[in-house]
Amino acid sequence: MKNFQFLPARLSAHLPIKFSAAIVISSFFPLLSQAQTPTLSNLTVSAVLDGYYQSDDRLMTERAEGFGLGETELAFSASIDDMFFGKLTTVFESHNGETEVNVEEAFIQTMALPNGFTVRAGKFLSDIGYLNNQHLHSDSFTSRPSAYRAFLGGHYFDDGLRFSYIAPTDLYWTMGVEAFSGDSLRAADEHGERAFDSTGVYTAFTKMGGDISIESSWQLGLSYLRNENGQLTAEEHDEAGHEEAGHEEAGHEEAGHEDENDHAHGASYTGKNTFITDFVYKWAPNGNYKYQHLTLSAEYFRVSDFMVPDLHEELAGAADHEEGDDANSKDYHEAWYVSGVYQFSPNWSAGLRYGKLNSQLQHEGHFDQQTLKETELSIAWHNSHFSTVRLEFSHQSNVGFENANNDNVMTLQYVVTMGAHNAHQF
Amino acid sequence: MRINFKLLLGSALLTLSHGALAQMNIFACEPEYAALAKELAPDARIYSATTAMQDPHQVQARPSLIAKMRQADLVICAGAELEVGWLPMLQMKAANVQVRSTDKGLFFAAEHVKTLDQMSNVDRSMGDIHSLGNPHVHFSPQRMLTIAQALTGKLIQLDEKQSAGYQQQLSLFSVRWQLAMTKWQVKARALQGMKVIAYHSSFRYLFDFTNIEQVADLEPKPGLPPTSSHLASLLKRADKGDIAAIIIASYQNQRGANWLAEKSNLPIIILPLSVGGNEQSNDLFSLYDSTLDLLTQAYRAQK
Repeated sequence: MKNFQFLPARLSAHLPIKFSAAIVISSFFPLLSQAQTPTLSNLTVSAVLDGYYQSDDRLMTERAEGFGLGETELAFSASIDDMFFGKLTTVFESHNGETEVNVEEAFIQTMALPNGFTVRAGKFLSDIGYLNNQHLHSDSFTSRPSAYRAFLGGHYFDDGLRFSYIAPTDLYWTMGVEAFSGDSLRAADEHGERAFDSTGVYTAFTKMGGDISIESSWQLGLSYLRNENGQLTAEEHDEAGHEEAGHEEAGHEEAGHEDENDHAHGASYTGKNTFITDFVYKWAPNGNYKYQHLTLSAEYFRVSDFMVPDLHEELAGAADHEEGDDANSKDYHEAWYVSGVYQFSPNWSAGLRYGKLNSQLQHEGHFDQQTLKETELSIAWHNSHFSTVRLEFSHQSNVGFENANNDNVMTLQYVVTMGAHNAHQF
Repeated sequence: MRINFKLLLGSALLTLSHGALAQMNIFACEPEYAALAKELAPDARIYSATTAMQDPHQVQARPSLIAKMRQADLVICAGAELEVGWLPMLQMKAANVQVRSTDKGLFFAAEHVKTLDQMSNVDRSMGDIHSLGNPHVHFSPQRMLTIAQALTGKLIQLDEKQSAGYQQQLSLFSVRWQLAMTKWQVKARALQGMKVIAYHSSFRYLFDFTNIEQVADLEPKPGLPPTSSHLASLLKRADKGDIAAIIIASYQNQRGANWLAEKSNLPIIILPLSVGGNEQSNDLFSLYDSTLDLLTQAYRAQK
């Protein structure tokens, strides 16, 4: 936080960080009015304010009980020259009296490679899945589905490199590969003894899409993520054999604990291989999105090989003895969700989402299956294209999670955007 | 099987012949610019990203548009920030260097004419307005002629071999357009002094051309839908008795207008926002004809 260079030193010395950030944002306005041209050729500055009140903690979310700031972001982007485009997105979050400043994006991207090729380097959002490359403030729900929270730490951004290609066909078809350092997706390592690969995550993805008619469009995506550091090791198993370590594991999955600053952005469950399938369908009468439109989306995640083979054998041996106890534990984690959001009028929209997570928790030498089911209903009021106030009710029922009740949680949230108009993805 | 093979061969040959002609791929953000491109480059393969039934401010950067832009040699848009919510995303995702900047295959119509209502100090509390002025320039016949000339220059820059052909198309279009303009000016003169309530500033240039006065807007602020208190104030204004009609564009929601029309006994005119906005508007010429006829009918009825 001390390194946050946009803050004049005098201001940050006298004011709590939250307020000084707001002042700095507002002081950018003279600059904003001159930096609105959409041609990707001028500096665009945009800010997103996200604040909330949540009635209770939810599993693995970044939002905690009480008042807090969600993803409050300040972003700069511009063409650097005729070849490069650059973007810097800084995110502030605060809950339980703690303020965090994170760099979510700091990347350059090529703009002039021939034949539909693009290279992006730096820190950026991975293009796997449907939601991951979208910013949280464009979501229709206050939190990401449990699949994202469990396997990607909410949304996965990291230091890395991407090559992508888009085919010159009428059917939209793009594909790409990425390599990331993968720090936030490393398997639990309480003692810091493990030698992790410095480049731990590789992904490959493809997306296809098109129009069905003037009124409706679709997109289908397939992604694969290979995580070299995602497997639990045998040493880890030894640690987890003790009861304390088992509790460590449980605490790891819980947002809102004192160690959340270290963990809130990391994945709770990791494995070597992750497959994701996503589908999106959008509809608007006459294809006119101003008044009414419907978005249906669904994603399925499967995370397999979450332990190294020798650990797997050991546990399999143990399971033979215990019988029955492990009968419902699987050798993969999986999660899915389906979501529907309907905008009734320019001012009102409502969304319903159901998601289910099946994960395996390492516990005293074996794995126990955990299940989390969540149903969310969100109602949003949009005063304009730039401001949203959202009320969300979520019901979660879980089996096998410690320190978590089967709860109804209410969240009240605002999200507003200032400065340059954000262009949204499909 | 034989039929399939023939079909396959036929389509392969067709693709080849298209390649040989180097047919230009044109991506138009709005149907009026697709129509203009059709006048000036009739042999091109032209695709319009939106229809006259869609709000050009709010378009999804959907997969099909990215795929079309990927293949485009020329992208024609209104500009003046009308497409700010979706065009940059399409450019980013389409990875087509050809249509990235106006030096090459990107053309903003509003850059070639003087826009109305430019603001030096824009604030979001004023609604969704643009400092670069009103971007709906296609209802200004004079400006469209200037844009046609500039667009021809762009076509020639991109496809020099066909230079003579583009010049010829432009002069053909100019003659027809100027002839039509004299006809439209006669109709416009008859509309002078007409007062209307309209939705958004979609027809700012049409009203400028015809000297129609838009005394009130159904939107309380640009981009915001009509509110009941705002509609009540419009009803008060309508009671003065000098207003001829309520005007909305083909893509706009009729609810607010219907309420006001019912209470004030004013007629509603749905004008085509662009080509394809009603049955009559098949090209730019018939778009103007239809629009002016609809206004003339309403003004005559008031008198």
